[in-house]
Order: sequence, then structure tokens, then C-alpha cells
Amino acid sequence: MSDSGRVLVIGGGPAGLRAAADLAALGIPVVLVERRGELGGAPIRWKYKTLAPELRPTEEVMGPMISEVESHPLVKVHRNSVVERVSGPAGNFRIALGESGGGAQELGVGAIITATGFEHFDASRDPRYEYGRAANVIGIHELEGMLKDGRVVCKDGRKPERIAFVFCVGSRDRATNPWCCTVCCGVSIKQGIELKQLLKDVEIYNIYIDVRTFGLWEQLYWSSMEEHGINFIRGRVSQIYDTGKQLLVKGEDTLVRGPFEVLMDMVVLAVGITPGEGTAQAAKALDLTCNTFGFLQPRHPNVHYDSGKAGIFLAGACVAPMSVEEAILAGSAAAMQAAKFVRKPALQAAAG
Amino acid sequence: MADAKQKPEEKGRFIVERQYVDDRRINEPKKLDAGGMDVSGRWGLLIEPRTITSFDHTLMRDVQREAGGKFIHRCFQCGNCTAACPTAEEHPEFNPRYFIHVVRMGYQAELERVRQYVYLCASCGRCTETCPREVDPAGVMAAIGTAVRKAR
Repeated sequence: MSDSGRVLVIGGGPAGLRAAADLAALGIPVVLVERRGELGGAPIRWKYKTLAPELRPTEEVMGPMISEVESHPLVKVHRNSVVERVSGPAGNFRIALGESGGGAQELGVGAIITATGFEHFDASRDPRYEYGRAANVIGIHELEGMLKDGRVVCKDGRKPERIAFVFCVGSRDRATNPWCCTVCCGVSIKQGIELKQLLKDVEIYNIYIDVRTFGLWEQLYWSSMEEHGINFIRGRVSQIYDTGKQLLVKGEDTLVRGPFEVLMDMVVLAVGITPGEGTAQAAKALDLTCNTFGFLQPRHPNVHYDSGKAGIFLAGACVAPMSVEEAILAGSAAAMQAAKFVRKPALQAAAG
Repeated sequence: MADAKQKPEEKGRFIVERQYVDDRRINEPKKLDAGGMDVSGRWGLLIEPRTITSFDHTLMRDVQREAGGKFIHRCFQCGNCTAACPTAEEHPEFNPRYFIHVVRMGYQAELERVRQYVYLCASCGRCTETCPREVDPAGVMAAIGTAVRKAR
């Protein structure tokens, strides 16, 4: 098959993997480019133990997609590589690939799917939370790995008895990011349940502004209270002080109009979703438009896969914050669009 | 605690911007000796902070053991109970939603302030009928009344 029948997928996370696997299953050759050394994106990189809302192991979702892509003869995977330049018209793109080792190569493709994903918000950008300074202040992405290893302890080896989750860190805040990350309520609640199961008599305090467990994720919220006895406090944490042994968490319980200063053994920051470096880099290489937040801007806000440029399609969290299940759907949808695009001559001929 | 016989207006009269401080938080001992030094009255004055310094779920667990109180922990503070409550309509201190939260988190000082109103519940059951999480607020109010009385 000619170069123009081939599709380039940028990013090997849930959206990119699903897109690559679907295209290959349709008989369309795929070039998958992944910036990092391994496939799987954020769920694999950060060792997500389980996925909301039903606490199913992450491998159940990611494993089959990764092996499908790795074993399919029509998919060529380039790890540790980035797309440096794209030239030529839609249908006959010329791609300049750069490898982290210094190697470079050029190839031709007919269409491109951008699935460059996101980064977990770097909480050291918000100095109120002592992230990066206080040993027992961690992010939800780091807690996932600890839960997966089955060992959650304070830095000095103590078993935590009281753990607070601070919702909306790097989200819904003009000082950092004004948007909602859509998933961190659910992820925090899921982790609270897992901590209860792992540590038994631990007390969990979820400090929230709103609980946004949309759709069927609401079940997580209900069961966390009803079956696991997790506590919810409405308010936004204004400051965390490291006392050396514990963490003094300061905020207001807005339901009683009362300020609180309560000691916790560990604080987990529900860090938000930010556009990744990979997205900024791809936007530059492909000359795509980013919105004011840095996410890729689709042509129409309600049609995510359409980049507005012929032959280039968007998928996953590079367009907007989303869950793994939504990213997988987005990957599949973009694959369908790319397939239509590269098959257009053949489809037109068949239709007579 | 402050001396009950002392007139509230006399208490803490040397505090600058006195009107901002709740009487109950002013601790002014009538007679206090600190190792031979007389620190009575204004010299021993202490303003207790308003800040909540701990979350304590003992009372909630007591309530769960009383008849009607079993599902207090289900509450997600929507306020449907208070909105449906005919007593709350007349009496601002009677707020089932609020009682549930104060008990749940063990806010002792606040409970001390509002405990006298717990028994205003008319047991009409409108809250229980409207509650979206099947908390049974009417039962919970009765259980809180019992648990608070026992805790004394």
C-alpha cells in the first residue's frame, strides 16, 4: 500500500492505542509515535492500580490494547520518538521523526491522529499546599503507584491514621487553572475506598468544593459514604502547615460556617489535568490551534475529533480533560474519521 | 467555662471591638490565683478560639446505635429535610441538615450552642418523605436527641 493509505498516530496512551488498533483491524497501516519509552500513556506511566468507577484493574483495559498494537503486523511503533515537522498536503503528508537518541527519519502518511494526552498538574505551582516540601503531601497520581505496591505509609514509616484528600488542586482556580479536570473527584473517592480496604481503621476526609462524580460515577460517591464511612467536608483548603510530624490542614467547613485547623498524617492532593508538553510540541509541529488553556482546539466545540485541518484528527485528553473510558471512545472515533479520509478514493470508486 | 452568674454585658468589657466576640467564648475567671498572683477578672481573661481543631465521630456512632439513627452517615447535605421542615420555617436554629453535619463531624462547641433546639422536632416526617438518600432525618433527629441526652 502507498504512503497515502497509511495513518500516523501521535501518542501511545488510551486514545492513541485504541485508534491504532482499530485502524490496523480495518487493514490500514499505522505508524504509532510515542515520546516515552513505553506504551500505555498516563495509566501505565503512573501505575494506576484500578480505574473508576468500578475499581477494575487498569491492566484489564490497557493490557489488551497494548498487546494488540504491539503484535499487529500493520502497526509500526516508534518509541522515544517525536514528530518534529509535518509538511505536504493532506493525504500526502511528509513526516520528520526525531528519536531521543539523535536518529531521524522521514516518512509519508495520508492522515494524522493527534492523541498527545495530558500531564497531572504539578502542585508545586501552588505553594499553599507544601507539595515538594512536606514529605507527606503527595498527589493522587503518586498514590496510585503506592496503592498498586500495596504499601501506603508516611515517609518515616508510620501507618497513617488520618488522611485528607484536597480536591481541585490546580483546577477551578484563577491562580493556576480555571477548568475542571472532570475525573479527580471520582479518582480521589476511589482511592479513599482503596485506602480503607488497605489500612482498615484509617479515617478519610475528602475536602471538596463540589463533588463532580458525573454519570454512573455517582455510585462511587454514595458507596464511599454508605459502605466505607468516608467523610466529606465542603470547603477549600487555604493552607497546609508541616508541623514536622503531622500536617495542619486549614480551611473552612462552609456547611457550619466554621474555620478549621485539623491535624492529618497524610494529605493527598487531587491534582488536575493540564495540557502536556507533548501537546504543545505537536501543536507546533502540525500547526494546530490551541485554546487559551493550551488544549488543542477542535473546529467545533462539540465535535472533538475534527481539528479543522483536512486529514488531521484529534483524540483524547489533548482536546479536553477526560476519563480513560472517554479517551478510548475518542480514539475509536478518530480512527473512523481517519479511515474514511484515507479510504476516500477507494470508497468513491466503489460507489461508482 | 465562664461564670454563669456574671452578666454577659460585663464580661470581657475591656476587649477592643467586644461586639465581635461571642459571650460563650469569653473566659473571665471571677477569682483566680496563679501561684500567689491574683489574676482574677480581666487579668485572667481568655478568648477561646472559634476554630474547629478536630473531627470526632464518637457521637455519630452513638446516634447510629439509637433507634432511627442508623443511616445518619448517608447524608450528603442537600438540605431537602430542612426545606421540607415546618419547624425550621419558623425557627432558624432548628435545622435538621445542620444537626446531622454537626453530629457527624463532632463539633462540640457548636452542638453545645444548638442542643436545646434538637427537641423542637414535631415528628411530622416530611423530611423523611423527601430525603433523596433515605437517611430518615426524622428518625435521626430523635436518635440525636437520645444520644445527646445520654452523653450528658
